[in-house]
Amino acid sequence: MRIAVLMKAAVEPESRIELDDAGQVQRAHFRYELNEYDLYAVEEAIRLAATHDAQVTVLSVGPEDAVQGLRKGLAMGANDAVFVACEDFLADPVSSASVLAAALRRIDADLILAGVESADLGTSQVGVLVAEELGFACVTMTIGVELPGNGTARVRRELEAGNFLEVDVRLPAVLTVQTGLNEPRYPSLKGIMAAKRKELVRIDLAELDRDVEQKVETIELAYPPPRQLAQMLEGAADTVVAELVTLLCEEEKVL
Amino acid sequence: MSREVWCIVEHRAGAVDPDSLQLFAAARQLEGTAVAVICAAHAEELVGQVARHADRVIVLQDAALEQFTPDGYAQAIVPLAQERQPAAVLMLHSHFLGRDLAPVLSSRLGSGLITDCIDLEWRDGILGRRFMYRRKLIATQRCRTSGPDVITCQRGAFVAAAASQGAAEVETVVPAIDAAAIRWAVGAFDAAEVVAGDITEAEIVVAAGRGVGSAENLEAVRELAALMGGALAASRPLVDNGWLDRGLQVGSSGKTVRPRLYICFGISGAIQHVVGMRDSDVIVAINKDPRAPIFEYADYGIVADVMEIVEPLSAAIKELRG
Repeated sequence: MRIAVLMKAAVEPESRIELDDAGQVQRAHFRYELNEYDLYAVEEAIRLAATHDAQVTVLSVGPEDAVQGLRKGLAMGANDAVFVACEDFLADPVSSASVLAAALRRIDADLILAGVESADLGTSQVGVLVAEELGFACVTMTIGVELPGNGTARVRRELEAGNFLEVDVRLPAVLTVQTGLNEPRYPSLKGIMAAKRKELVRIDLAELDRDVEQKVETIELAYPPPRQLAQMLEGAADTVVAELVTLLCEEEKVL
Repeated sequence: MSREVWCIVEHRAGAVDPDSLQLFAAARQLEGTAVAVICAAHAEELVGQVARHADRVIVLQDAALEQFTPDGYAQAIVPLAQERQPAAVLMLHSHFLGRDLAPVLSSRLGSGLITDCIDLEWRDGILGRRFMYRRKLIATQRCRTSGPDVITCQRGAFVAAAASQGAAEVETVVPAIDAAAIRWAVGAFDAAEVVAGDITEAEIVVAAGRGVGSAENLEAVRELAALMGGALAASRPLVDNGWLDRGLQVGSSGKTVRPRLYICFGISGAIQHVVGMRDSDVIVAINKDPRAPIFEYADYGIVADVMEIVEPLSAAIKELRG
């Protein structure tokens, strides 16, 4: 059995997000980090592999910075990695999914795990679209996975407001995972050393057979209108607390 | 108003998710006819909950639609959408329709998909606006495809209108569903435990986030909540790390609260949290990062470490309550 994990290099929260004169986002300012949701996907794959005699392949499509995330996945315990360098597909999830699906056809996985969404763009489409492209079933919002060995995965889904739902889904399948379904391990020194000897296969984008039709286009990017900021209370802690209590009692009448 | 905009109604156990009514407002913003689409095995009870809000109702009724499954819903919706070509198919971004169904519909209709829209506009076609890069930019997007656009709307972004006088016309369609092609077997539904002092019922909510730093500090926040006669709540990180129960989580994957007073400590204000608390009457935010987005939603803000404020505030409340 092989489990593939989709890993994205997401633009990190501290990156400067600025538009140039033509209204395009200046990617030169971007700094990347591994999408947090995907870290949980890697951990889950490694845990499942340990008890089901499976191999784990981590896969990323994106800027060169994505290799860092793949190396981390290898250091955590994935067996091998596949990387497709691709700088300019970020705004269209269908294109991302199409590249990922084309690469996945070479990996032949029974189970594919991915984060439920990316922290920077948050379309929450890519995992499901990959499943559709491959003809796999898909379950989103996964907070627990068991593989009973009968050709299905038993998935615990986290719905809203503390509700949960169990779904048995036929394999092969894509599961998109929530944070909190496990506690991702820190790579050990031994793991980091071992990762250096593991295979990281690079696939040229031009080699992949994929759908290049862009279905959605961004016609304008703009800064959000400034919001009314809070009334900021300043000064020593005792002073601001006294001021706050007065405001809440006398102005707002909520205390 | 001949332009049809289909609004897929989210429901569970005979109850329509009331936020589904916001979709009709979104449809009208597109100058379209708001068509409620209900997929169900038994729809009668559900129809009554939307008929005075939508312009028309289509019921897709089949025993295979007893439970939500992406394959079942897609088999019901896709052929009818192909035949009738509505301008768009809308659903809420959270929870399950936006996540599980929207990409499947777009894929099988060959349509474009714009997710988590906060605004929609008709300009020779549909324009959808959504945040990118953690709310630092707003993108205006449109589909380049010819079929019905698939669009998910952020909860709370559109305001549902009051019920109209007349009940909408209801059309029932029996779809051809191949139950064997449904790859999900839906098992147990595990409802959230109903606990006394539920955060959605509290008049005062005191919430803690990643910035509280330690379990010890969290206890101080809990004590403050008790002193104020309020409920303790949390943002997702404190639930993920096991410090607090999932039932206390506020946000898109948790609960929506609208207390008279919401005080939050060490919560930065990610949109996933904000959608669950922004309608509170008075919001007070304490965060050590002066640029934290939570201050854009708060009425009062204090830039400080959590513990600098929790203790004197507890002391002040004790004094007040005598």
